[in-house]
Amino acid sequence: MSADARKQAFEDLLTAQAASRINPPLLLPADPYFDLAGEEFGRRLLLTTGSDGAEYCLRPEFTLPIVADYIRNGTREPASFAYHGPIFRQRPDGPAEFTQAGLELLAQRDADLALDRVLAFARDALTVYEVAAPRIRLGSVALFESLLAQLEMPDAWRPRIRHRFGHDEAMDRLLTRLEAAPDVPRAEQPHRDALIEDITEQMVAAGLSLTESRTPSEIADRYLEQQALDAAHVSPQTLALLRRILAISAPALEALSLVEAIAHSEGLDLRAPVASLKRHIDALPPEIEIVFEAGFSPRLDYYTGIVFEIQSAEGQVLASGGQYDRLLERLGATAPIAASGCALWIDRLEAEAAR
Amino acid sequence: MTGLTLAVPSKGRLEQLTRDFFAERGLEITRPGGARSYLGAIEGMPDVTVRFFPASEIARELIRGTIHLGVTGRDLIHETVEHGPASVDFARPLGFGEADVVVAVPEAWIDVTHMHDLADVASDFRSRHGRWMRIATKYITITRQHFARAGIAEYRIVESLGATEAAPASGAADIIVDITTTGSTLTANQLRVLEDGVLLASQANLIVSKTVAWSADQRALCDTLLSRLRD
Repeated sequence: MSADARKQAFEDLLTAQAASRINPPLLLPADPYFDLAGEEFGRRLLLTTGSDGAEYCLRPEFTLPIVADYIRNGTREPASFAYHGPIFRQRPDGPAEFTQAGLELLAQRDADLALDRVLAFARDALTVYEVAAPRIRLGSVALFESLLAQLEMPDAWRPRIRHRFGHDEAMDRLLTRLEAAPDVPRAEQPHRDALIEDITEQMVAAGLSLTESRTPSEIADRYLEQQALDAAHVSPQTLALLRRILAISAPALEALSLVEAIAHSEGLDLRAPVASLKRHIDALPPEIEIVFEAGFSPRLDYYTGIVFEIQSAEGQVLASGGQYDRLLERLGATAPIAASGCALWIDRLEAEAAR
Repeated sequence: MTGLTLAVPSKGRLEQLTRDFFAERGLEITRPGGARSYLGAIEGMPDVTVRFFPASEIARELIRGTIHLGVTGRDLIHETVEHGPASVDFARPLGFGEADVVVAVPEAWIDVTHMHDLADVASDFRSRHGRWMRIATKYITITRQHFARAGIAEYRIVESLGATEAAPASGAADIIVDITTTGSTLTANQLRVLEDGVLLASQANLIVSKTVAWSADQRALCDTLLSRLRD
């Protein structure tokens, strides 16, 4: 098949999704991206400044403008959107234009079916571009959150561990710190009121506002919590278990059997997220290599259920996506709205086909 | 092409210390037009053209490969662009212009002593205050790199082009990333450097561009120059 024929075949595939074609502006306000994804994503943006100082960026991806538009329209009806067009990112060797295409399914009645549709779409795109030996990395935010909720540990540690999910080094540093925590009784804690008074004095002396940034009580409470945490141990067994599960990375069914075996022997109930993973794996063609990595997650906290990434034989990311139910709330929706989608790197797919 | 371009800071202490350093090794840098001229030479090395640039421009031009070698701070190479350090060779530190790029928080933040504390504070800052934690700095690239490495993503940078240390008191930001030599400015503003908060220890360096198109003659001349600048 020629490049033109592939392009046409892919267009046909997009049309077959029965989704509204949408083409958000190329020039977008930059603030929502910083608000949503922080400076780490911000440094990938191609920025420009309006004459009034407002910052704009060239469209770096499609999901945010599509979802923001959907929320602005105020409907809660199921909707599906397909897109195909240029995006712009800063690369280490300079700014670059890419072609991205994808599918976003919002507020679908059956969230599992929606994810299956997204996976099927990604798979069909791989077929159009004749990708040889693709590899799907699966991760599950739901599985990790369920595991974390059931592990025995002082509650205050849970959000701290959750926050590091998907960042292997930061997670390793935290677990190492917990493993090394000295088992010594703490000196007596200062009184909260006295502490707040001290902090207030320091802040006033430094000319800091007591309300605009962190407040004296917030600092005092975290200080006391921190002292308590240092004394509140996470048992070596729990930490070892966490490490064992996070280290799981194997062909999907094998990996999930391992998760089940560990859950069984440790008395954990991970049946729901495991069953959900298995259902989606069954829906994928057996000739595609599927790997489940328990520690795999995008570093964005709006992903909720299953997340995936499709790589070429050389390990280049060709597609990525998953379930991101929390994104719509983050962008102002008043109630949780199910969402799943994926983005395809068309230039890389075309490079695979041209091989 | 046989000539080499050496860029030297165009003013102040850095210019003087750089010229002293060269002079102590028998290489007299001349600036015939005085402080208002941007062209100079090294006595006895006619193939070396000396250009006087602001330090930040020296970093940029070394990375771009429009000059062969130059004297500037390591921090500026790291800050100019992410691939800056990969685009140059640090031939030797010069023993002056020492400064650390550090993360500093208000002294009153008694619960924050390490970067991992900052990660905790940043992660729920937005739910508590309705906005991201703000960091005032002019070191945007270095801040982003190190915070990413520390697993901290939930913050916004407020670009600061002067008096960064005043940002927490003025309400422009919550914490700062800034350069410090003695720490006295930070202390005077009741700011405290985190225990693992030194992001980069910098000083003036003699730096060789890797991106410039080197001829064999230029390479040989550069080696001669560098060998004369050893201790």
